[in-house]
Amino acid sequence: MSIYKRAQQWTTFTRVWHLFDAKWQNPFESAKIIQKYLAGLHKPIYGPSDTGDHVVVINSKEIALPGDEWQKRVYFHHTGFAGGASWTFAWELHEKDPTLVLKKAIYNSMKGNLYRHTKMERLHIYPDANVPQEILENVTNQIRRPRLIPKRLDEYSEEEVEKFPKLIDYPEDYVIQKIK
Amino acid sequence: MVFRTFPLFVRNRGPDELWRKRRILKLSAHFHGRSRNCYSIAVRAVHRALVYATKARALKKEDMRALWDARLTAACEEHKFSYSLMRESLSRCNILLNRKVLTDLAIWEPRSFKSLVKLAWSRASQDGLNGVKELGEEPSGVITRGMIK
Repeated sequence: MSIYKRAQQWTTFTRVWHLFDAKWQNPFESAKIIQKYLAGLHKPIYGPSDTGDHVVVINSKEIALPGDEWQKRVYFHHTGFAGGASWTFAWELHEKDPTLVLKKAIYNSMKGNLYRHTKMERLHIYPDANVPQEILENVTNQIRRPRLIPKRLDEYSEEEVEKFPKLIDYPEDYVIQKIK
Repeated sequence: MVFRTFPLFVRNRGPDELWRKRRILKLSAHFHGRSRNCYSIAVRAVHRALVYATKARALKKEDMRALWDARLTAACEEHKFSYSLMRESLSRCNILLNRKVLTDLAIWEPRSFKSLVKLAWSRASQDGLNGVKELGEEPSGVITRGMIK
């Protein structure tokens, strides 16, 4: 094999590290996308031999569950001992460990076969943007987020506000009433 | 009990026993334990193995088809297109490439596959198939000269 072909094969089969920003994303929608990357189903060379990639998820404490799921969704746990059953609300679990809601969403979106634990080991979730340097060095791709994040009014710079096209302007003596 | 006639003592089934048994033991050479060496155990294991091999011929075709479908879905997603739309559009353009060939193209000839995706996208938007508009603007640069009908 020529040097070029060797390099091409190595780059094709190498395990890629992807980044996913979970800020204001639905964890269940994100789970469907992330588990595809963990399985290797995003590659045309997917196969039964391990083709999965690593995924680094940041800002998992800022995920957004739909509707009233924060109050209504419960997570069941049994310690194995008698009387050890417990039901925890999503908001309670998120307070205790802000990575668990997303981690469980991804775990439960996978099939319950022997590949699951290997794939979960390649998932790295962080509650905020503080990721260890050794892991950030490996990341080479960012996964597109399923939901668009709107820009708050105070996030626009003064230049953009001035440049934005104006149809009308309030007269100088107009009093804007504050709604209580 | 006393055998009155001497021929009844004879338990020789014929001169071909060695070759009959060798035919079975040759197939069980890679089995575990006594199944590879002892005829009476090997013959049962060999018969099961042959039955599994027969049944698996249809299963292999199913497995390969599922693998090709997964690979082609991934390849279409790389170009931000949908696999189901791609299949429908290609058949409407009378491009009767099967899953095997499309997968080989997607892996070994990615630019050819990209041009097929572009062609399928143009045909899908021309015919107004369900779900094309949600994918966004169709790619430019598809020269059909009115031939995709």
